[in-house]
Amino acid sequence: MIDAIMNSSHVLVLATDSASDRSSINMALLLSAILFTCGLIGFLSRRNMIIMFLCTELMFQASALALIAFGKVHHDVSGEVFVIFILTVAAAEAALALGLIVLLYRRRETLDSEAWSELKEA
Amino acid sequence: MDFASPSLDIQRCGALLADASPTTVSAFALTIAAGICAAGLAVLMRPGAQGIRIAGTVLALVGFAMLSVEVIKRASVGSEAAGFPPVFPVIFGLLSTIGAVRVITHPRPVFAAMYFMLTVVSTGCMFLLLGAEFMAFALVIVYAGAILITYLFVLMLAQQSPVVGVGDAWYDRVPREALSAVFIGFVMLATLSDAYFSAKGQSFIADKMQASEFDGAVAGWKRLDAMPKLLRVAAEQTLAVEVAMAKDPTAAATTPVAISEVVRNADGSAITMHADTASIVVKLTDGSTRTLALAPSMMPENSRQVGVDLVSKFPAGLEIAGVVLLMALFGAVILARKQIELGEDERRELAGMRRFTVEGEAGGSGGMQ
Repeated sequence: MIDAIMNSSHVLVLATDSASDRSSINMALLLSAILFTCGLIGFLSRRNMIIMFLCTELMFQASALALIAFGKVHHDVSGEVFVIFILTVAAAEAALALGLIVLLYRRRETLDSEAWSELKEA
Repeated sequence: MDFASPSLDIQRCGALLADASPTTVSAFALTIAAGICAAGLAVLMRPGAQGIRIAGTVLALVGFAMLSVEVIKRASVGSEAAGFPPVFPVIFGLLSTIGAVRVITHPRPVFAAMYFMLTVVSTGCMFLLLGAEFMAFALVIVYAGAILITYLFVLMLAQQSPVVGVGDAWYDRVPREALSAVFIGFVMLATLSDAYFSAKGQSFIADKMQASEFDGAVAGWKRLDAMPKLLRVAAEQTLAVEVAMAKDPTAAATTPVAISEVVRNADGSAITMHADTASIVVKLTDGSTRTLALAPSMMPENSRQVGVDLVSKFPAGLEIAGVVLLMALFGAVILARKQIELGEDERRELAGMRRFTVEGEAGGSGGMQ
């Protein structure tokens, strides 16, 4: 009887369809590359300070997705634990950055990052 | 414990042989596709006529389609079965990409935030497809529910509404150095996709997946091993299934057996792992012992595994995350506090010293006299 059950649950090792698994991992990696690139382009080229910080969130998303995809490659949940830390850092960053932005907006009455360009060296 | 499995080794050899055969993918396809994407994005970044925008959108979509076709093609290189074409990953990837592109091209920040929400939700769906259920829901709750709302509040506090006739603020309409930014992005995307999807990178991923498949199962069973209550529940369910299956309809009703305890090995572990099964030994109430094979569904689910890993493997990180959040709280409060200018008298009073005023001198509590 036990043998019968053991045979019926023969595919115990997480019954994975390797090919489709790999293609979804590849899509996730591609998406993470695209998201990071979009975030980078947005951070470099947008002038609105709020959108610039939104783009950093985009990059956080990308790294979280890559961590989870590689965690799946290694069949390990440590990647997901790291994503929890990314979420924490993103939340802390949003709170601080938005507080700063409100402060800067009160000084100059504009969200344009160029308004602060005298901060750069000569 | 018997971890070595001959069947896995044979599979690995097969994969290695398949990888050694010449692959059909071309070297520059990914770079060309990334270039097409970048060209489309460069067109979309500039404010222009509708026809130009549509052309840019078509260009970017073609680039995305080429990238995903190439990427999916490379996933099946070296594996025997072609597998079901990944419909959902492509759909959610497309949605997420559209959201991200609109975040960086939309002239109105509120709409950009809304499109970011689309990106978050479809990335969450991608997490689900990768089997990370807990993180998917945490992502949607934390990002879409908390962080995005904060952004929207700040937008309402700080954003000027568009003026009739003038339209949106010029700094939202005109990007800064769009072409160089897109070029840097293209280099980034080409490098990343070459690193991930080159033949070497793909065979690394395939090898790692096959090599770690068994380790993943072992880690899952070990986590179940560390949770005695859950292990007991699993044992009871398995026993119930076995008794139900073994029941002879013609036999007379026997007294039901129950588990008195789960037998632990000398090293304290209860679960014994073989090549592809896990089993436990239980002691029944009638004194006999019995070996139960655990079904794969008995393995702890994703959220439980993440939780166990979080507190058992990374407790220091958990503490530091708490400290980071606390410091962010303090920082936000200090930044948002309104600065109050205090006069000399008030400051002296706050410091516990006497005031300088005449009334203070005359009617003071007489500390000096």
